[in-house]
Amino acid sequence: MRESLGRIITLTKRNIKEILRDPLSLVLTMALPLLMEILFYLIFHKMTAQFEMKYLAPGIVVFAQAFLTLFTGLLISSDRRTSFLTRLYVSRARSYEFIFGYALAVLPLALAQSVLFFLVGGLFDTSMFSARLVPAILLSLVTSLFFIAAGILFGSICSEKSIGGVSSIVICGQSVLSGMWFPVEGLSGGVLTLMNVLPFKNATALVQNVIVGVNDSFRDLTRPLLIVLGYTAVMFVAAILAFRRKMKAD
Amino acid sequence: MTIEETARPAIRTVDLTKVYKDTVAVDHLDLEIRDGELFSLLGVNGAGKTTTIKMLSTLTAPTSGEAYIYGINVARDPVKIKELVDISMQETAVARKLTVEENVEFYARLSGQTRDEIEASKKYVYAAFGLEQVAKKQAAKLSGGWQRKLSIALALVSKPKILFLDEPTLGLDVIARRELWKTIRELKSQMTIILTTHYMEEAEALSDRIGVMKAGKLLFTGTKDELFAQTGKTSVEDAFIEIVAGGESDA
Repeated sequence: MRESLGRIITLTKRNIKEILRDPLSLVLTMALPLLMEILFYLIFHKMTAQFEMKYLAPGIVVFAQAFLTLFTGLLISSDRRTSFLTRLYVSRARSYEFIFGYALAVLPLALAQSVLFFLVGGLFDTSMFSARLVPAILLSLVTSLFFIAAGILFGSICSEKSIGGVSSIVICGQSVLSGMWFPVEGLSGGVLTLMNVLPFKNATALVQNVIVGVNDSFRDLTRPLLIVLGYTAVMFVAAILAFRRKMKAD
Repeated sequence: MTIEETARPAIRTVDLTKVYKDTVAVDHLDLEIRDGELFSLLGVNGAGKTTTIKMLSTLTAPTSGEAYIYGINVARDPVKIKELVDISMQETAVARKLTVEENVEFYARLSGQTRDEIEASKKYVYAAFGLEQVAKKQAAKLSGGWQRKLSIALALVSKPKILFLDEPTLGLDVIARRELWKTIRELKSQMTIILTTHYMEEAEALSDRIGVMKAGKLLFTGTKDELFAQTGKTSVEDAFIEIVAGGESDA
């Protein structure tokens, strides 16, 4: 157990260094969403409540997490392409240790995203600086696990060239089906049902509801949390299976 | 004392076979490699060299047959095997954004080494490959030759008893290749080395024994002298062509 923990820490440290030394990843996961947060607020916040900072900031937090899928996937597929992972398979590290190593390395980035976007949001709407920020940030870490798991899954099965296209499914899903960019009230039943059963809108609503305020704890917190956790669990199981399969196939 | 007099099998395979869908990559391979020797596995592309190495290093499960390393069954006890072997892949496999020093430390920690052991590992691989002068440089910023040296050096960090070198000098210029030969020669006394290569002069310069594979089958094993005697040729390249192509390339 101690040896296993030591290997997980070693793999995590290496992955964190790789992340911090890749400026493109920081642009994609931090700078671009930050720019969107500021611009969309300045342009639209007086036109529709959708873009008031208390809705926009949590929406951006979860939207930016979709880029973690791309980013995690790129890291793993690059390690596979260069045979770096293949040679590590000869080490004593187990598949779950690799998975933890990748996930734990990306988690601080998710935390940094959350803190940054809420902090900047709070500069435009100081009412956001309240005790609600702490649970909102903690829950955003939970939602980030879904996107990280998706990245591990895609990185395990896709090539470095195809990872961008495949990850864009999640980015588009989060963009279109999260309900953060347009009001969902006017949507037809089928689309709304789809949004309600998929993780994207639930992840966004979960963090938004904490910031805005909860009326019905089951509807506003428990249900979306369970849906997101369910998808996260499925995604992690699929990621572990795919990763283990690739360990033998690469 | 010759290798044969001191020899005990480091590796033994019995009917080792690997089938990918409808392709037989390795076909009932019976091979014995002695402790402490440098064994070169030769063959054209698709001969089954890399697949053999992957099976012996636990990376790929055999379809049938058995492989033993120091008497331990590779398929049944991969964890023990991983403590004995390491591999340098065909591709340069390093953590590109880490420095040379960080790469070595990373592999050492992954092997469960203590702080003192990590320092000893650094000294060892720096001395073997002259890496000290580039220790603080990021791997991605090194030349191809240095990256390849680092990639091979990392396989030594875990102090393996058996080292698999899969085409270690692929893509290197002639100077870098000769430098690497020198390093490999120095390693010969410390561990059993299994080398695959397309460069016949490399096999000729480095090997204690040679194996020739074609279409997954082992066609020859023996020393250079035995190879020359069997084929009537005086160079490994000519002898290899004689065995694999029946001397057709002579024309």
